[in-house]
Amino acid sequence: MTLSDSVTIPQDVLARQVGEETVILDLASGRYFGLDAVGARIWQLLTEGLQPAAVRDAVVAEYEVEPQQAETDLLRLLRELQAQGLLRIG
Amino acid sequence: MSLTAGPEAHGPAANSAPGGPVSAEAVTLRQLPERPQAAEPAPPFQTWTQPDQSIWALFHRRGPAYLLRFRGLADFEISADGRSVTCWPAPGTPEASVRHLYLNQALPLALSRQGRLVLHASAIEAQGVAAAFLGPSGRGKSTLAASFATSGSRFLTDDGLQIALHGAQAEVVPSHPSIRLWEDSGQALLAASAPAAPPVHYTRKTRFLAGEGLAFCERPCPLRRAYLLGPGLAAQVSIRPCQASDAFMGMVRNSFLLDIGEQQMLTRHFDDIARLANLPIHYHLDYPRDYARLPEVRAAVLRHLADPEDTP
Repeated sequence: MTLSDSVTIPQDVLARQVGEETVILDLASGRYFGLDAVGARIWQLLTEGLQPAAVRDAVVAEYEVEPQQAETDLLRLLRELQAQGLLRIG
Repeated sequence: MSLTAGPEAHGPAANSAPGGPVSAEAVTLRQLPERPQAAEPAPPFQTWTQPDQSIWALFHRRGPAYLLRFRGLADFEISADGRSVTCWPAPGTPEASVRHLYLNQALPLALSRQGRLVLHASAIEAQGVAAAFLGPSGRGKSTLAASFATSGSRFLTDDGLQIALHGAQAEVVPSHPSIRLWEDSGQALLAASAPAAPPVHYTRKTRFLAGEGLAFCERPCPLRRAYLLGPGLAAQVSIRPCQASDAFMGMVRNSFLLDIGEQQMLTRHFDDIARLANLPIHYHLDYPRDYARLPEVRAAVLRHLADPEDTP
């Protein structure tokens, strides 16, 4: 996966805000996942339709983090989400 | 930024909870004559195992209904809407054992099928509000409930805690007026003459019945505090705030849900647990597992319940 890829959230993946975190339920597998506060913000941006490059830009602006670090961390999270079936490319 | 994997949606292990007067109205039980347990045409969609990995219960689908089979003990068919249960004891299963299985296993699952939120938790009433104690088998839920119920407070349930959500408020619905205790807890907390149900042949727990010496609250109560029980490693009684996400995962691990493959019900369950987790009522509670220390535990919980600065 790269930041130029287009991603979508499968319809059977649900998410709810719980405290400062987001919990995700994959209805297909019955598995639950948790996202910390930053991950939760990224998930929110994805649900609003932002694609990875735009998410990176938003993270840099909101968290005052170096663009390269933001990109590295974001890609790692996106790939993990994809590996768990919570995100699809295309 | 991190993604952590939580538990799979599942029901709790065996040794689960009873229902009660309110539950009995919500579910109709029909017991038919005993019969051999014939093989089901399809494999189970879920299996519960004992700690020694032996099979405890098998879950089969029968059209829109469900068959819950306890091998060598009894079959329970739960209707699609969870409002009726039909029971066939296996040959030779004592009536008391059938009743125990129904209250502890089939009834909470039937209630979950109705869309009710049912947790692996005990609850007590004190000062007009409820405190719940959540955790896996062996953490002391029933012992705590009995300790309060023999010392001036009342119990609402020893397991199979039903919670009704009304907007931003949660309410505990009373369950069956009995508490199941292992022999050591029974001896420590209750008189030898305390009324009890007939013994059950497959467990050494005794079901003590509510009465003068074991006070029961038969009315729904607002839930003021929910305590996630620790493993008993604390040297002193410890009560500390529990993050909403920890409360959420704790409830997922300790809740009843008959069919995790039924997405509409799983979605509702997810929503209910998230709503409950977002209430500012969740705490971690740990204490030394020593009967002599239970008065300290009770006093700490009662003070915490009454603390006006910590009221949701």
